[in-house]
Amino acid sequence: MKTLAALKVLVVEDEALVSMLVEDMLGDLGCEVVGPAAEIEEALRLAGSAEIDAALLDVNLGGRPIFPVADALKARGVPFAFASGYGEAGLTEPHKGSPVLQKPFREADLRRVLEGLAAQVV
Amino acid sequence: MTVLEADAVSATEEIADLRRRLAEAQAAHTDEVRRNQAFSRIAAAIGAHQSLGETVQAVIDGGVELIGAQFGAFFYNVVDKAGESYMLYGLAGAPPEAFADFPMPRKTAIFAPTFDGVGVVRSDDILADPRYGLSGPYKGMPEGHLPVRSYLAAPVKTVDGLVLGGLFFGHREPGRFDARAETVIVGLAAQAAVAIEWSRAGEAGDRELTERRRTEERLKFALDSGRLGSWELDVETRAYDASDICKSNYGRTSDETFGFDDLVATIHASDRERMLAAMDEAIRTGGDYDIEYRVVIPSGETRWVHARGRAAVRDETPVIGGGVRRMAGVSLDITERKRAEERQRLLLNELNHRVKNTLVTVQSMAAQTLRAADDLPAFREAFEARLIALSQTHNLLTEQNWESASLREIVDAELEAFAGRERLDFDYARDLRLNPKATVAIGMAVHELATNAAKYGALSTPEGRVTVAWAIEPPEAPARLVLRWTERGGPAVTTPSRRGFGARLLEKGLAGELSGVVRLAYDQSGLGCAMTLPLAALEP
Repeated sequence: MKTLAALKVLVVEDEALVSMLVEDMLGDLGCEVVGPAAEIEEALRLAGSAEIDAALLDVNLGGRPIFPVADALKARGVPFAFASGYGEAGLTEPHKGSPVLQKPFREADLRRVLEGLAAQVV
Repeated sequence: MTVLEADAVSATEEIADLRRRLAEAQAAHTDEVRRNQAFSRIAAAIGAHQSLGETVQAVIDGGVELIGAQFGAFFYNVVDKAGESYMLYGLAGAPPEAFADFPMPRKTAIFAPTFDGVGVVRSDDILADPRYGLSGPYKGMPEGHLPVRSYLAAPVKTVDGLVLGGLFFGHREPGRFDARAETVIVGLAAQAAVAIEWSRAGEAGDRELTERRRTEERLKFALDSGRLGSWELDVETRAYDASDICKSNYGRTSDETFGFDDLVATIHASDRERMLAAMDEAIRTGGDYDIEYRVVIPSGETRWVHARGRAAVRDETPVIGGGVRRMAGVSLDITERKRAEERQRLLLNELNHRVKNTLVTVQSMAAQTLRAADDLPAFREAFEARLIALSQTHNLLTEQNWESASLREIVDAELEAFAGRERLDFDYARDLRLNPKATVAIGMAVHELATNAAKYGALSTPEGRVTVAWAIEPPEAPARLVLRWTERGGPAVTTPSRRGFGARLLEKGLAGELSGVVRLAYDQSGLGCAMTLPLAALEP
């Protein structure tokens, strides 16, 4: 169990303005931002090898689904949450049940989700 | 005269008498044969189930022949489709024109017993009959009527007593019809009644058959034009009968066999159980069967079918075990509708995604603007300008069905709000079309550059100018767009002490989003911005 302070969070988000918002929010919460990754290859590379505690994934990355990145994180045991305009409806079957941040979200929503993820970090 | 002579005379007379009796017997026999032949012709005509007119004609012809009449007629009532009763007639021994100009016979004293079904009227000389000539306007036969003296008429009525019409026979000489003729005609009238009833029943049957065929044709036309297939299922034997269109809904041609097992097998494995359960339920309760399911047709293609059915409601349908014996229904290929629904669902999801993303973008702009703003009026001005800049790029995309926008138009749209449009120089070989994501990103970047130029840079003084230049470099893959924003003639530039929203958006946000490099150069002569972006991230 980790606290949010110094929690290393991988951000995968392909829209500049949105990733800037998330970065600012994470900064306010005391987290350290890894990325943000705007494309799937970069995201896969970071998910596979970067030093991270948790991840926040935009479901739709320039028209490509994020799920390979989610699978890679799962394999590594890194907890993650999705950020999506679709809500849970946009998730494929194996990922239903993962935490989802419905866009747009407040800093308090992000904090709650991150605390849930941090609780899973051993 | 001797005894011998007397004997001879007697013998001669006897021979003559015998000859006469033989001739009489021969004539009677011939007459009998002729009458039998006439009867059998009538019987054959009746048995042949001909039309009413033909049957009636056979009866009149036979009657004339049997009693040696000169004229024969049969007047009978028919009822048309509108329920109106009118009279038709058949003639023998005279052309049809013989009665054409006369009105139909009415119930005069002569005719009434016939048309009322009271009995036979036989007269050796009708002109001498006390009942003759009593009714106006003709007071007897009208001018031009067949010259009838001997008269014999019999009603034609059913066993129930319903009068169908009357048989009439005549001869121009008096005393022609004897009691034997009357008996023959009474028998003939009875046969005629049976024949007419048969003929009417046959015609009614034909009409019903024709009507049923028409109804079936109409139903088939309606089914065909609606591409509706029809089917019927024997619940007990599972015998399944499908129309050609129904078969085609399941990917079968009309000459292929398609039984109940084939139907079940062709239904998508995931939908099969649901279909069987729905059918069982309908059979058990006698309720409606109404289901949409996927079918995998022999070509391997998956299609959608809407099937509806109901227990066949027929009097002879026995109910077994609380269920029904037969089901009948229709099937419709709804693949296109399902695909349209799927497209609509995807579009709606896509729209929701865009709207939500735009809201986050606006949320981010508000948060970023607030961080840099000195006071609320400054926040409002900057925030509104950014909101409008975002809206401009959306307008360009909407015009192009959200597929792409031209780089030149993006720059023009973002600079529209600023006074210094005429102080803008363009330098490029060809315009470029950008995908929606790049359109929004570059549109916002140009907005930040223009806002900065208008506030602090070249567009804040009357003399300053801005050059926007772009080129594709290198020409071979992977090609990149190199876009340069160069300000000249404005106030002297100094590197800012803190990086504002614009600089962050350009150098980090835009570069990250489009996988490129963006450099701001705070040259003293004017601000410069160089964007090097891979074409792959920009193209639609």
